[in-house]
Amino acid sequence: MFNPTPHQPAIYWPRAVILVDMNAFFAAIEQRDRPEWRGQPVAITNGEQGTCIITCSYEARAYGIKTGMRLKEAKERCPYLIQVPAHPHKYAKASTAIMEALATLTPTIEIFSVDECFLDVTACQSLWGTPEKIGQLARQKVLAASGLLCSIGVSGDKTTAKFAAKLQKPNGFTIIPPWETKERLCHVPVTELCGIAKGIGNFLAGYGVYNCGDMERLPISILAQRFGNLGRRIWYMCQGADPDPVHTNISAPKSMGHGKVLPPNTRNKNTLFVYLLHMCEKLAARLRRHEMHAQTFFVGCRQQWGDWLGKKCKLARPTHDGKIIYQLGQRILHEAWQGQPVCQIQVTALDPQSDQMQYDFFERPDPKRELLNQIIDDINARYGEFAIAPAPLLTRSEMPNVISPAWKPHGHRQTI
Amino acid sequence: MKISIDRETLLKPLQLVSGVVERRQSIPVLANALLKSDKKSFTLTGTDLEIELQGRIALEKISEAGEITVPARKLIDICKTLPEKAQIDLNFDGQKVIVRSGKSRFSLATLPADEFPKTEEFSATLEFKIPATDLRSVIEKTSFAMAQQDVRYYLNGLLFEVSDNQLVAVATDGHRMGYSSIEAKAPGMAQVIVPRKAVLELSRLLADTAGEVDVLFGSNQLQVKTDHYVFTTKLIEGRFPDYSKVIPTGGDKVLIVDRDILKQALNRVAVLANEKHRGVLFELQAGTLRITANNTEQEEAEEELNVNYHGGEMNISFNVTYLFDVINALNAGNMQFTFTNSDSSIRVEQEKSAENNNADVYVIMPMQL
Repeated sequence: MFNPTPHQPAIYWPRAVILVDMNAFFAAIEQRDRPEWRGQPVAITNGEQGTCIITCSYEARAYGIKTGMRLKEAKERCPYLIQVPAHPHKYAKASTAIMEALATLTPTIEIFSVDECFLDVTACQSLWGTPEKIGQLARQKVLAASGLLCSIGVSGDKTTAKFAAKLQKPNGFTIIPPWETKERLCHVPVTELCGIAKGIGNFLAGYGVYNCGDMERLPISILAQRFGNLGRRIWYMCQGADPDPVHTNISAPKSMGHGKVLPPNTRNKNTLFVYLLHMCEKLAARLRRHEMHAQTFFVGCRQQWGDWLGKKCKLARPTHDGKIIYQLGQRILHEAWQGQPVCQIQVTALDPQSDQMQYDFFERPDPKRELLNQIIDDINARYGEFAIAPAPLLTRSEMPNVISPAWKPHGHRQTI
Repeated sequence: MKISIDRETLLKPLQLVSGVVERRQSIPVLANALLKSDKKSFTLTGTDLEIELQGRIALEKISEAGEITVPARKLIDICKTLPEKAQIDLNFDGQKVIVRSGKSRFSLATLPADEFPKTEEFSATLEFKIPATDLRSVIEKTSFAMAQQDVRYYLNGLLFEVSDNQLVAVATDGHRMGYSSIEAKAPGMAQVIVPRKAVLELSRLLADTAGEVDVLFGSNQLQVKTDHYVFTTKLIEGRFPDYSKVIPTGGDKVLIVDRDILKQALNRVAVLANEKHRGVLFELQAGTLRITANNTEQEEAEEELNVNYHGGEMNISFNVTYLFDVINALNAGNMQFTFTNSDSSIRVEQEKSAENNNADVYVIMPMQL
């Protein structure tokens, strides 16, 4: 079906990278499952009560509706907008199915976000054919695994592949062979490339670099001095030679945390502390699931549209016990919060580390608590999150969990 | 105040005082040194509210008594950059301190002496004399094990204990402990915890001190005195853990190995140890010690040493940094490790022999295997 044209003999690409980007992922899943919504403007919110649009279908985008817009404003633009509460577990399942299907093409796969991934297919060309053919295969795999459409960019490096995928949406397919990248990017503004936002853009503009083609004139050392290795990478990126490899292993987490929006103007201590306990238990269970501990934590609550009340604190020894994190959190909030109205709570482990622990003379892990936590984890793994939990959590918020864009089917990001 | 002094005489106490003065502080006067002169002597004082150091100079040429504070750092930099053996005149004219030397002239801003934090009344509960080298030795051999910004605040310092004509120093951060003792003609019994910064400062001070020093324990202060300086520090209030319970006694597996050979092997293995927790694994068998390490990139290092070991087979894992700290605190020759099991603390010391009866003991807590 996808034989190379007779005029264009198959050329072996020195490097071939494919970006697969799902189109309006969450909205497309809802439309797939509810045929009557197809062709209709659909917006996803966090539960029935959510007022902020997480994502929306292309039909809704035609009305100028965007991610992050308030529901009220969106309804003003499009009164027939269909509001759908998010189903994070369904999206996670679809994402996992897609990534697993794509992993049958090449093991060199980098899951960039819940709906995007890079495939390095350089070594698969003799197996599957030209990069173009592999790109078409990828699209078929995605459709078969999920019934969804995607946009695909095929090129010789990650940045150009991502740029290519963006050119045609939805259901696009764009190829930029490596020998054409430099020319194709030449007149593209540098800020169009993934990873170059306003800050770096302004810095480059100061040196007269507006389009990718201008970069060649700027010595690489200027970027290296200001931005280090990232600067060097940007210099290559703009010339269609992004050296960044497709990363297959998920790097160790730098921090791990959970937060939640509170009911507006929360002043009630009990309400606040139930949310605190909820986040501490959630974080502790996640640390345990990934066989990690942490010693330094940030605990804080945010004032209505304002500053954080809270601070970071170090424990005597690393822990993954929700009770200990909660005690620390209570201490911090007792000190930092004097009943001001707050709207958000956050608990973050700042130094998660693997379980290979240094023993301490004076602080020994409590074997009883360790065993208890293990049993709780086993029960919850079978019957669902918080099937068994500390009693105060009976009154916890019913606000649904939110899927993060950084969600990944494996490793420490596999949490909703 | 008006004095005349030669550069070298002024520079030495000035440099001592500068170690105490914080580079950045919230109260302006803490950046200053207090200069005070009377008929017989001239003193310079620096403080950070926790540690106070007073340098003393005996002089005959004082023409006018008085006291004033000047920026410590700037006065040092001026004295340092003046030529050797230069004669320096300090003169407080009521507003500024004028520094004159040869054809150089500097005028320094001042703050009144009564703004300088007053020394707390010191009343000694115990007092003894000890050679400076002895005091420094017990500090050097243990201070590396002090905790740093630990929530267990009483660990962020060094314990000095006097009993039975012995001075004992102990430091621990919960992961390892250093214990060193030395003979001292000290009456009575007492324990004090000296804060981390003071310990490091005192060690620096003692490095340049010859002869004996007077050590005074107060209820919430410690003082170390010579003819040339008085060093005073506040103490950490709190109870230091009972160190005798930390030192294991029942271990039956004894390893004896040459310090330098072990150090070299560890140096090589450590290259590929995990960057974060620095773990190395000891695999012990009769007559051999195998040391291995690996990192997150799945790189591996392995060393095998012929050693004196007759306990049973055992695996135990350590943070290699803790081993290096102990190795560096011990003298060349054989060192002795005593193990109990894989998750119990180990005892490390110099091998006992006729010519060596060093009583220093180190304890290291292993890592989970």
